[in-house]
Amino acid sequence: MSFFGFDTTLSRDRAAHAPHPQQAPGFSQQRDAFAGLSGNSNEKAGDDGYEFDDTYDGLGDDLDEGDDEFNDETFGGGSAAAPGKDFDFFGSTAKVADAINEEQLLYARGPKKSTQPVPPTYHQERQTKAPSYVAAAKPKPQPAPKHQIPTEIPELKPEMSLWATTSPEATPAGKGLSAHAAAHFLHIENQEPPAQPNFGQPAAAAASAAPAARKYKSLEEVEAEILAKKQARLAAAQQPSQPQLPPSTQLNQQDGWPGRPVQGFPQHPQMQMQQPPLQQMELPFPPRAMPPPQQNQRLPQSDRAPEHLHRGPMPPPGGQIPFAQIPPNQQFQNNNIPFQMGMMPPQGPQPFVGIPPMQPQIMQMTEEERVKFLEEESKRLKRNHKIAQLSRYNGLMTPSDKNFITRIQLQQLVSVNEDSFNEDFYYQVYMAIRARNNPQQPLNQFAQTYLGQQGARGGRARRQDNHLLRMQQQVQRAVAAAKARPKASQLVLEGSLGKISFSNVKTPKPLLSIKKQDSVSLVEPGQKPAHSFAGIDRRSILAAAEDIYRCLLDLDSHERKHPGPSLTGQQPDANTIQWFEARDGLIAKLWRSMRIMEPIKEEPNALHPFIAILSVKKAKEAIPRVFRYIDVQQRITILTMITISLDQVDVIKDGRYPPDSLSLSNETKKKIEGFSQYVLPPLLSYVGDAQLDVITGLLGILLDRVNVLLLSQTQIGLAFLTMFTSRAEIIKQAGQADEQAILKWTQTYDRLFEILEHHLLDIFPPPGAQVDDMYVWQFLASMAVGASILQQQKMVSAVRDRVNENIQASRTLPQEMSRPKLANTNLFLRALGLDIDQLLSSS
Amino acid sequence: MLFFSFFKTLVDHEVTIELKNDLSIRGTLKSVDQFLNIKLDEIQVVDEVKYPHLSAVKNVFIRGSVVRYVHLPANAVDTALLEDATRREAAAQANKAK
Repeated sequence: MSFFGFDTTLSRDRAAHAPHPQQAPGFSQQRDAFAGLSGNSNEKAGDDGYEFDDTYDGLGDDLDEGDDEFNDETFGGGSAAAPGKDFDFFGSTAKVADAINEEQLLYARGPKKSTQPVPPTYHQERQTKAPSYVAAAKPKPQPAPKHQIPTEIPELKPEMSLWATTSPEATPAGKGLSAHAAAHFLHIENQEPPAQPNFGQPAAAAASAAPAARKYKSLEEVEAEILAKKQARLAAAQQPSQPQLPPSTQLNQQDGWPGRPVQGFPQHPQMQMQQPPLQQMELPFPPRAMPPPQQNQRLPQSDRAPEHLHRGPMPPPGGQIPFAQIPPNQQFQNNNIPFQMGMMPPQGPQPFVGIPPMQPQIMQMTEEERVKFLEEESKRLKRNHKIAQLSRYNGLMTPSDKNFITRIQLQQLVSVNEDSFNEDFYYQVYMAIRARNNPQQPLNQFAQTYLGQQGARGGRARRQDNHLLRMQQQVQRAVAAAKARPKASQLVLEGSLGKISFSNVKTPKPLLSIKKQDSVSLVEPGQKPAHSFAGIDRRSILAAAEDIYRCLLDLDSHERKHPGPSLTGQQPDANTIQWFEARDGLIAKLWRSMRIMEPIKEEPNALHPFIAILSVKKAKEAIPRVFRYIDVQQRITILTMITISLDQVDVIKDGRYPPDSLSLSNETKKKIEGFSQYVLPPLLSYVGDAQLDVITGLLGILLDRVNVLLLSQTQIGLAFLTMFTSRAEIIKQAGQADEQAILKWTQTYDRLFEILEHHLLDIFPPPGAQVDDMYVWQFLASMAVGASILQQQKMVSAVRDRVNENIQASRTLPQEMSRPKLANTNLFLRALGLDIDQLLSSS
Repeated sequence: MLFFSFFKTLVDHEVTIELKNDLSIRGTLKSVDQFLNIKLDEIQVVDEVKYPHLSAVKNVFIRGSVVRYVHLPANAVDTALLEDATRREAAAQANKAK
């Protein structure tokens, strides 16, 4: 409500949402004056005018004026119930109505959807009321209410001057024109004289496009225009559900002027007759967009047929019709070209956007082109449809939602923070190893996981991974920010034994972490004095083995921090020096952890700590890794230590076949396997580089301190002996040793031969044992190579039975089993300069 | 994180997941997260006769907490490396506890 009590509601709102109260003050007064004026002018211009008798329906004549006596009784009257003078028929209701209107206005300005239901229902109401309304109501929802609501009229006031310039063309057509329609029409003529000489269009244009064509546009008008457009779209979208009149019906209607004029005074039949051009209202096209120029002149004549062709299922005759101006959905609605209708997605107008401009081209196309065009068109429609369907979900997530999810995903990607290598150790190293083992695989993945850790030195790789790098940086920043935020990760309840820690990305499952007592001494490998290795119980052995591994892991991770190969000729920088120092420290620690330098105890059964540790499998597995870090001197030490204590090493101690058994225990077998798999190779590789005097020395110690006979009856013992003898032989044959050394070696060899001379058959596994005795033949071969003629003869006589046995067996056994036996035997025979084929053929 | 790290290396390998409701599902491991939720593709229920309603299912997402066992392809596991990773994990835990 305005200050002065005026009704400030916009007229269009009243039009759209509620019937305007007739008693409302304000502009409607002016309108009334104007209506009267127009009526007058119309009377002057034409033959017909507005007479009360014309507009009065005469219903009042039928009223029965009698029997009013009991009215007081019925409606309550008399002096007792005399109405006061303070009644208010309108004021208070108007307040409420205005409040409602305002609310509706607010509502209408909100989401588009909410306004939709209003105009259609309005239309449908009208249509159901009177079938003849259909045509008029169909095309443009907005103009109709406007004209029905009188308050719209005053806006036309400025155009009053136009009445003087009524064009001759328009006048006959406007014969029956209402004043408003004429005014609209003239106005439009004025505005677009050349483009708008449309036959039936003027009135339609006047009726529907009036708001848009006005010269003076107030804010109110602009708003009204927008609303009108909106509603037009809605109406068009709704049209399919409305009954479509066949063209013939429309024609009939047109001829008989049954169409209802949209302008005021709807009930008056005469008025309907008088306003034929208003029929144009039923044109489904927005009038401005549909000016087929050639039909323009037909308007004055009453030949309406061509006009109706427009509305029929036929395409418009004028190919030049500027379709582009037509709101696309409208065009689609009204062009009943079947293929396009068929492709139309059923729901809302959205999917059609952008399609119609192509349509007129179809007319000029050949069949082929048309088919192609249609195909493309259908594809495009499908795509648009898809897009439209997808776009339903647009805007579901706010940017902050997206941000949140992105952050989660980024944190998922966090393999990049500083201790990621520890966190993700298995994955990263596994991938690195796989990348290295698979030459087919480009370095890319390897670079991402392993090299990426060291800062991706390759220039090319860096460029390729640039975006990845940037993302990593982003993630790092995000993680840093998350870390910077103070957080309570643990909760310590009073009196509880532990603390409750909350879950986080790394430890998703909350743990109850019990704090360890500090007094419990954790074994610190390096610091631990040698003598504290007291018992040789299994537990301390295992702990010691773990110490070795801990040192190894430290070394490994230190190795990864390698500053990189310095350029040749350049002095190593401080970093590199520091790194090497730290590495040396770690290696020393590792060395100590192996306890190899602990003094050998003199008691006969005392087991050296290193040998004890070596009895566990994992310690054996560690040996190759240890060998990678230690220097030559330390390797000799290890080899010597093992050699000296060989008869104490479990694989030898337990490696002999028990007197009445054909096989070793499973545990021992596994140990032997492990020893030969992990310990022997590094030793062998060292021995493979050793000088002859070292070999001689080692063999000498072995002969001095160890029971060689016992040794020779075990697989590992024989392997050691084989290792020494074969290496010495290789050096001898290669001529890498001087006379002195060779002489020494021969002496040592002779000692060994003397010991074994009469026990050569004992070195074989028991006759029935189902084992591969290749190691025995290998040993025999290595011995035979270095042996003198005399020694060779002794050997042959000793093992002749075995050789013959194998040859006999090879004849009876299937080939798969006999072949390895022969091969093994041949190994020895070849060392003697013979071949098994000779024996086979001779015997 | 050790198991997460470990399962990541098994991506694209065939595993059999035994759930706590005794359902066993064999399929290609597609993805795993830090909760050890598992995504399987081309799945096949081991006892298909017993669970016919699952015969049409092609891929599944399994919540990590309902997994009882994961049967691994032995040749895709580097045991020595896994031992090392375990040692590292243990060392890290020990450091944290201190």
